[in-house]
Amino acid sequence: MSPNPITIAPIFPLWLIILLLALGSAAAIFQYRLIRKRLGHNKALGLSLLRLASISLLISFALNPSRAERREHEVSPALAILVDTSPSMGLLAHAGKGSRLDEAKSLLNGGATPLVKSLGEKYELKVYGFGEALKPIETGDVSRLKAEGKKGDLTDALGKLAGKNSLAVLLSDGNLKWEGNKSTGIPVIAVPLGASDGYKDLLIKRVKIPALAFRGREVTIDVTVKGYGYSGLTLPVILKDGERLLTAKNVRLGESPGEETVSLSFIPEAVGHHDLSVSIPPQFGESLASNNAVNLSLKVVRDKIRILMVTGSPSLNYRFLRTTFKNDPSIDLLSFVILRTPSNILNVPVQEQSLIPFPVETLFSKELKNFDLLIFDNFRPHPYLRAGDPEKVREYVKEGGAFAVIGGPNFLGEGGYAGTPIEEILPVRWVGKEDYRRDSPLRVKLSRAGTAHPITRLSSDERDNLSLWRNMPPLDGVNLMEPKRSGTVLLESTGEISRPILTVGSYGKGRVLVLATDYSWKWYMGMVAAGKGNWPYLRLVERMVRWLTKDSGLDPVQITLPDRAGAVGQEAEFRIRGSEEGTISLSVFNPDGVKIGSRLKPAGKPGEFLGSFLPEKGGTYRMKVETRTGYLEETMAIPGLLDDLDGAPNHERLKTISASTGGKILGRDDDLLKEIQAYAARAQNRFVEERRLPLWAKLYILVPILGLLGLEWYLRRRWGLI
Amino acid sequence: MISRRHFLSLGLGLAAVLLFPGSRLPHCAAFPQFFFAQIKYRGGEWDPNPEFVEPITEELELRTSIIGLKERRITTIGDPDLFYYPFLYMAGRYEFEPFTFQEREILRRYLTYGGFLFAEDTMGAKGFGFDRAFNREIKEIFPTQELKRLPPDHSVYRSFYLVDNIGGRQRVNPFLEGITIDNWTPVIYSVNDLSGAWARDRFGKWVNECVPGGEAQRSSAFKAGINIIVYSLTSDYKKDLIHHPFIKRRQNL
Repeated sequence: MSPNPITIAPIFPLWLIILLLALGSAAAIFQYRLIRKRLGHNKALGLSLLRLASISLLISFALNPSRAERREHEVSPALAILVDTSPSMGLLAHAGKGSRLDEAKSLLNGGATPLVKSLGEKYELKVYGFGEALKPIETGDVSRLKAEGKKGDLTDALGKLAGKNSLAVLLSDGNLKWEGNKSTGIPVIAVPLGASDGYKDLLIKRVKIPALAFRGREVTIDVTVKGYGYSGLTLPVILKDGERLLTAKNVRLGESPGEETVSLSFIPEAVGHHDLSVSIPPQFGESLASNNAVNLSLKVVRDKIRILMVTGSPSLNYRFLRTTFKNDPSIDLLSFVILRTPSNILNVPVQEQSLIPFPVETLFSKELKNFDLLIFDNFRPHPYLRAGDPEKVREYVKEGGAFAVIGGPNFLGEGGYAGTPIEEILPVRWVGKEDYRRDSPLRVKLSRAGTAHPITRLSSDERDNLSLWRNMPPLDGVNLMEPKRSGTVLLESTGEISRPILTVGSYGKGRVLVLATDYSWKWYMGMVAAGKGNWPYLRLVERMVRWLTKDSGLDPVQITLPDRAGAVGQEAEFRIRGSEEGTISLSVFNPDGVKIGSRLKPAGKPGEFLGSFLPEKGGTYRMKVETRTGYLEETMAIPGLLDDLDGAPNHERLKTISASTGGKILGRDDDLLKEIQAYAARAQNRFVEERRLPLWAKLYILVPILGLLGLEWYLRRRWGLI
Repeated sequence: MISRRHFLSLGLGLAAVLLFPGSRLPHCAAFPQFFFAQIKYRGGEWDPNPEFVEPITEELELRTSIIGLKERRITTIGDPDLFYYPFLYMAGRYEFEPFTFQEREILRRYLTYGGFLFAEDTMGAKGFGFDRAFNREIKEIFPTQELKRLPPDHSVYRSFYLVDNIGGRQRVNPFLEGITIDNWTPVIYSVNDLSGAWARDRFGKWVNECVPGGEAQRSSAFKAGINIIVYSLTSDYKKDLIHHPFIKRRQNL
């Protein structure tokens, strides 16, 4: 033991102490000179030295001398045991020996003297369940651990343990997250669980799918299949849209473990969200079957809006609509104009006429589904449509097609659409005996619904919009109709009896619109004549098409999904943009169609909201946002917990972890307690305690001063100075 | 005083109503989707063939699904309803007074934004009279454009009939001329006096002889007239791809 050093901590500045010491010395010399003649040199010197010693000792207290005491202590190392509870720990450890987690429990609690107990007696022991989060548990609760949640992040966990623990023991199969570049200073002793030998599994390892696909254009999905223990096996990779098989391709697995990638291509036919799934059939002996399928969500958009327009007679209405469509690069128009009726007489041979047959069979039996919008413009079905064609139109709309009827003298009830399936899907019905009238010009006005509807909302300012419609040129001809209960009138004629001019509705999955006039082109030329430009007509037509074809850009509410797919147990968030603040409600339905809890909160900007829900399992969730004017639905695919799980034990990762932390990986036959003890001894913690003892507070320091002063007093008295 | 033609029409119509009391003609059948609006301008002779409307409209209704009005509307460029006229018609023999600045502006706006004008020089004197005046006005209205021969594949030659030469009362040009903006020809011009070939008096006799081609030339004039009207209502419909194979096959017959 080294001698305790003395340190000083002056209570006054050092120069002041030196000055005081100098003054004390001067006083002693002065005293010596005063008493030398009376007592002689020796006695005077003795008394002066005694006084000088007393003064010096007193002044030296101002240096605040203290003695440092050091003591070295030893403490038991703090030991953390991490028991991996990620889902793969629920898989079989060895044939017939329970799960990997059971193996961990057996290692900790098995035997006459459980390891946990032994370690707890020698070390400061903490046990953690290590899954999605690090959860401290009592040593007695180890047997209650379950394999659930998500893969744990060891880097994150060690970061939390740093400073509190000197050693970590990890019981895991190696299926965990690890970023090897971060040092936490805690050595990890890894205890590998599960056995790589004999592990058999097939899984969808990766799926590469485009973020967006275009209807009618080929989409390719790359699927990587991984196999353990199925070397040489050929199996199909199946791609489905819901329950419908899209395509399948065989893949042959090479060495085990090995990966093979196969490209699956298909052409999406319908726009919207498609719930796809990629799967491989489960094989005998597989450890895990649930990772043989992956759910995907693919958004299919149209590259162009395909419109089929059938016009009953050449007219300005047709020409203005045609020009508008043709000038819109996002529209692909196929139109047929009935140039002659059966009662017209042709006076020339076929080679002198340009008329083509109306391909009714091709259009209505085969091609109709390929169009987004069907328009009947002043068109009378008889005699051009066959008996079954109106039913095909109804089915087309029911399945999601858009249908618009533009009025005119050929848009008739009796002798036209009455009694046909098309009448059923229209949002209006004919009244009285007159189907079409060309009266004195009729002006139009917005209905209450029309003031807010995206079709007739041509200006963002409500008053401007009302004024715009009020000043629209009058119509010369209208069909006399009344709305059905299913119809929403957006524009109606002014006058004593309001007649619906523009009415919208829906049938099945499709949308329907009736514009009961063949004079809407006057809204174009009339506004041009008034010097107001052609934009109101162009915008109206564009909006009619976009609304009919469910263009999400026109919806008052829009849902924006996050770029990355959510995960089970993690709050899934999405952004809602709505034009009507405070009138939005959100419902979320799980993959079974059951409504689950959801939250809707303002996102900061006016009209913007954040919607969220907690997915409790994998699958496709449906979000429904309702407003005053309608609703919007969107789906979100949440991958299942095991869907992307490679459950094979990854002992190589454990080796890497232990090596990079300065720890060790233990073998199956190693004595766990002995190895931990050996390692813990190296990590034994020692610390030195240092104490400072002020000398002036000690009695044995005060005694010499008093002794010196007392001796001086005694000698003075004896030598007759007092 | 009622004409014999009108008397017969009235009588047949009354008989039809009596014979078929239950049949229901669309009320609209009487309403036109098409009519001529003829421009009455200052100077020259604005109405060289006053009896052309009824014959061409009858022919139109006989051959096509278009319902036309057998009466023309006589208008001026300053007419506030001008923009609602589907088919502006302008004809003449002689030079006419220049349009005012305002009239030119109205016509430019009407024609640029979707209106249609069919004009014809009924005298057929290139560079003189009406032709010179009309070209002058077109240059003022469309300074960067000039009347050009419409190519053989123009939609107006195939909008109803497949026409390879243009008839008329006279045969000055076997083609039509026009001003084309983008894919639309808002002005079509003829010097063959089509309306002279269409014109028929109230006794059913042709007003003019067609020279030198006779009745074949008249028939060709009617076909051209119908094609121009159908084109004014359908634009370049016949340019759609679906028509190509049919038209090509028939042209090769």
